Amino acid sequence: MTDLLNKAPELMLKGTDSNLDGGTIASVVITGVVVVFIALILLILFVSIYGKSFDSINKKKDAKAKAEAEAKLIEASKGAAVPEAKVAVNEPPVVEDGISDETVAVIAAAIAAMGAASGKKLALRSVRTAKGARSAWASAGIAENTRPF
Amino acid sequence: MGIIESFLDTMADLASQSGVAGFFADGGWKNIIMILISFLFMYLAIAKGFEPLLLLPISFGMLLTNLPFAEMYHPEYWEYLENVPERTGELNSHFIDYSRILQHGGLLDILYMGVKLQIYPPLIFLGIGAMTDFGPLIANPKSFLLGAAAQGGIFFTFIGAALLNMSAAECGSIAIIGGADGPTAIYVSSKLLSKTDTIGVGTIALAAYTYMALVPIIQPPIMRALTTKKERSVVMGQLRSVSKIEKLIFPILVTVIISLMVPSAAPLVGMLMFGNLLKESGCCDRIAKTAQNELMNIITIFLGVSVGATTRADKILTLSFGKVILLGVIAFSIGTACGILLGKLMYVISKGKINPLIGSAGVSAVPMAARVSQKVGQEEVPTNYLLMHAMGPNVAGVIGSAVAAGVLLSIVQV
Repeated sequence: MTDLLNKAPELMLKGTDSNLDGGTIASVVITGVVVVFIALILLILFVSIYGKSFDSINKKKDAKAKAEAEAKLIEASKGAAVPEAKVAVNEPPVVEDGISDETVAVIAAAIAAMGAASGKKLALRSVRTAKGARSAWASAGIAENTRPF
Repeated sequence: MGIIESFLDTMADLASQSGVAGFFADGGWKNIIMILISFLFMYLAIAKGFEPLLLLPISFGMLLTNLPFAEMYHPEYWEYLENVPERTGELNSHFIDYSRILQHGGLLDILYMGVKLQIYPPLIFLGIGAMTDFGPLIANPKSFLLGAAAQGGIFFTFIGAALLNMSAAECGSIAIIGGADGPTAIYVSSKLLSKTDTIGVGTIALAAYTYMALVPIIQPPIMRALTTKKERSVVMGQLRSVSKIEKLIFPILVTVIISLMVPSAAPLVGMLMFGNLLKESGCCDRIAKTAQNELMNIITIFLGVSVGATTRADKILTLSFGKVILLGVIAFSIGTACGILLGKLMYVISKGKINPLIGSAGVSAVPMAARVSQKVGQEEVPTNYLLMHAMGPNVAGVIGSAVAAGVLLSIVQV
């Protein structure tokens, strides 16, 4: 576009130019409006295209998830799965050795609070130490480097 | 006796060197008027809440620069000189002696370097980008058209300024006020205006921010005049939800497309989109928060106070300032009208699904213009929520005015 502008020397004005003639003024106005519209129409096209493609991908995902959920529901309606599911909800979480009951209680309370806030029923299935956890020294180093100054 | 004479002489010297004496010097009365205007702006900012974050620093800069002999800002240091650098051998008529400013300049001279070197406006855009949600625009990309239409005010005002025999640089600088975007107006005018022009960057910035503050007063009458009750009553459907990946792609896409099309717009659009990517990426929260808060606030202080400093009485109290104010309000009004008119066209094409009131938000005063659309819409249907629909054209207007700025900078050569 700049090339196009450069190739049309009558459109190039010096900042000090005054007494601009009607033709020059009209060229500036038409060029300006057209370039702004072309730029934004291009953006409309690109955004619409990728918006639609992502929308269709999301719809496919939603349809798949819905189909899976329906399949599970059909399975559950056959009878056997329902009591199992109920038992699963009431099952105590699997806790890794070395994690205190107090820690489990705190995590469970936090999850319950989150569930109450969002209106969802959440369950704690297991509690285990995260893999690749930093050592106390590494954590201290990061805390030192990232502390607000 | 000698002691008393010496004392009186010293006191007389001190009095003649004081700022009070400066008011009685040639043209000193103009400084008094400018100081009174700064008080008025301070009142508007503090008591009336008109864009206080900008108006207060600008008005205080105005006060400081108009206090005689305070020597915080030296307009003479910023006049362009003619210089022939050995390296190129070509005459440079836009030479500014920065080494002189660094050695002898006052505090406001040093801060003003960020304006003159076009550093502050892109950094403000970085902060705006980090605060903006482009979701409504991505959900309804047609909003871009309204953002483009509202830039009509810029180019139509170019005609008005040219008819008043203003220079091309002045025409471009005044016209950009129609974009209702302070940083863009400062960016364009600081690049274009030179010592031969009768207006300065401060004048343009003052007019731009004044009109941005007056959006709720200027826009509604135009919106009501150009639309019917039926059009204003349109309740728009809910926008689709936008996924995170769409929001991530958007800033990259816009940067590439706009920078390739109009390279002069790259500093503004690039930084706007960089700020947005920081926000949407979710992996740079600390940087995004800094851009939104600390950096934005620091730059706002520097920009406001240094732009205020350029409003020296001898530059402001001129006929040209009157022209800027007049043309500025015309630019702004035409921009609003163009957005509304395209909104009306879209109303017809969409068979009444689009409320034309969202078109006025295409001028990029974010989020004030969108709030005005919401408010005027609710006057007809109290349960109508146009805000998110108006945010689309509003943020499209920011991109549109940056593109328009790039076009003006491409056409008008410094």
